[in-house]
Amino acid sequence: MNWLKAFNPSDIAGGMKLTGKRFRQVLFTANRRKVPMHFVAEYPEVKVKLAPRYRGRLTMIKDEQGEIKCVCCLACEKICPTQVITIIKGKKEGRKMPFPTRYDFEMERCIFCEFCVESCGFDSIILNHQFELATYNREDFSLGMEGSENMFENSAVGKFSVAE
Amino acid sequence: MPMTLTQTVVMALIQIVVLLAVIMAVVPIITFAERKVIGYVQVRLGATRIAGGHVGITGPINRAMWALGRVPVFSILRGLPIFMADGLKLLTKEDVIPEKADKLVFILAPAICMVPAFAVFAAITFFPGAEGLFTFPASFPIVGGLKFMGFLTDINVGLLYILGVASVGVYGIVLGGWASNSKYPLLGGLRSAAQIVSYEVPLSMSLLVPVLLVGSLSFRELSVKLATEMPLVAAVPLFLGFFFYLTCGFAETNRVPFDLAEAETELVSGFHTEYTGMKMGFFFLAEYANMIVVSAIAAAFFLGGHYLLPFGLQSQLIHALGAGHALNQPSILFFVGKVGFLLFVFLWIRATLPRYRYDQLMHVGWKFLIPVTLVNLFIAAAIKFVWM
Repeated sequence: MNWLKAFNPSDIAGGMKLTGKRFRQVLFTANRRKVPMHFVAEYPEVKVKLAPRYRGRLTMIKDEQGEIKCVCCLACEKICPTQVITIIKGKKEGRKMPFPTRYDFEMERCIFCEFCVESCGFDSIILNHQFELATYNREDFSLGMEGSENMFENSAVGKFSVAE
Repeated sequence: MPMTLTQTVVMALIQIVVLLAVIMAVVPIITFAERKVIGYVQVRLGATRIAGGHVGITGPINRAMWALGRVPVFSILRGLPIFMADGLKLLTKEDVIPEKADKLVFILAPAICMVPAFAVFAAITFFPGAEGLFTFPASFPIVGGLKFMGFLTDINVGLLYILGVASVGVYGIVLGGWASNSKYPLLGGLRSAAQIVSYEVPLSMSLLVPVLLVGSLSFRELSVKLATEMPLVAAVPLFLGFFFYLTCGFAETNRVPFDLAEAETELVSGFHTEYTGMKMGFFFLAEYANMIVVSAIAAAFFLGGHYLLPFGLQSQLIHALGAGHALNQPSILFFVGKVGFLLFVFLWIRATLPRYRYDQLMHVGWKFLIPVTLVNLFIAAAIKFVWM
């Protein structure tokens, strides 16, 4: 009589009670309340909620005076497993520390491992929370310190979100 | 008023067209409801948009649906246009016939599956009253002054007709599986044949309970008398029979948890693996039409049909309040509501239960359902003998 256990009416009723409860919750309380019951994000309209340690695109940070915090120690360039960072050291008037004249980042090979951020002793680079990084051109993946695609702001490309 | 031959033919044609149109409209809505209900049960949202996003041709539709998402319960209607997209997709897909397939049978199988599923509706009574659903105004050319009845025909072997015609549908599945000339469809078709042959017996025996209690096979007479002329004890075999019938109905329509004929994890997609385009669409149409038939039979015979209370309890209400009371009047809304609830139960069960193993299915069919439906039939016979 083991086969009858699979048809135990109380088990079936218990399962249907649970699924019925979920159905009721989502039917009456879901859809853009403050605390939605459903687990999915309606992505293009509502932005996905990311964890604080989410690893997005590499970004350079400026301090309060608007100075680039990077001091060209080349730690990130050395530790990068795919060697996507290229830094050229330079000098700037009125600055004691070395100043990067170029900081090139080839995003198409980047694996978003965050080793560069961990190795940085001056907290001058972070991985931001941008995940919409797709572009139509290969050149858009080459980021530098100048131009519209620079290392300081979010990429302008690949914005599909229409969040309110 | 006696009807002329022309009037009879035109009236029947109008009823057939209306009935087919309603079925053809309801079946895609069930497929949409299936996505939504299963989505909500799994704490997802289901279909909420159609292709194209907020720009392009479908932009206005998608923006309207996005705005609808703010409304609490009506947000379930988001994504409703997707059933039109589904239909268009099925109609415009390439129709592939495998080279080694038996061409005639391959083309015939979806039709064999679908025609019985639709023909069954001829014997189903949607409203039993002699006054009909509405009367055509006298200004209409041929049918002026005639009543639009709530049933197509009221043959005195209605239930026998339904059982006989509905079981022809399995030939479509078996022949489709065989004609595909491929191992998975063949296995699916054979499984389906074995399953339906096994479950035909307890299904018929659970339906014998209402037949025994009323003493008729006419769908209309059964559904009216089961609600209004039953003693209180008759609720026991009707209540038990409802669950037995529903279990067998799930097996007969090849729905989860008895969808062994399709069994994605084992048989790719079973008997319709080789089918594409609208041929596969016909199999789907037949499956959902069969769901409606099973729900309609369960609603009419066990859940009180066109009356308010299920399991023959309406007759107690009639004793208490008198036959003229408003709660004792038949209404098509009760029937449609019960059928809708049973269709929801189909989807609910699908979202809850996993598929049973083949041996479990056969065990429960032969060793459990047939004995208990026999006992149930015996209880009904005793009630008929003692109380009626």
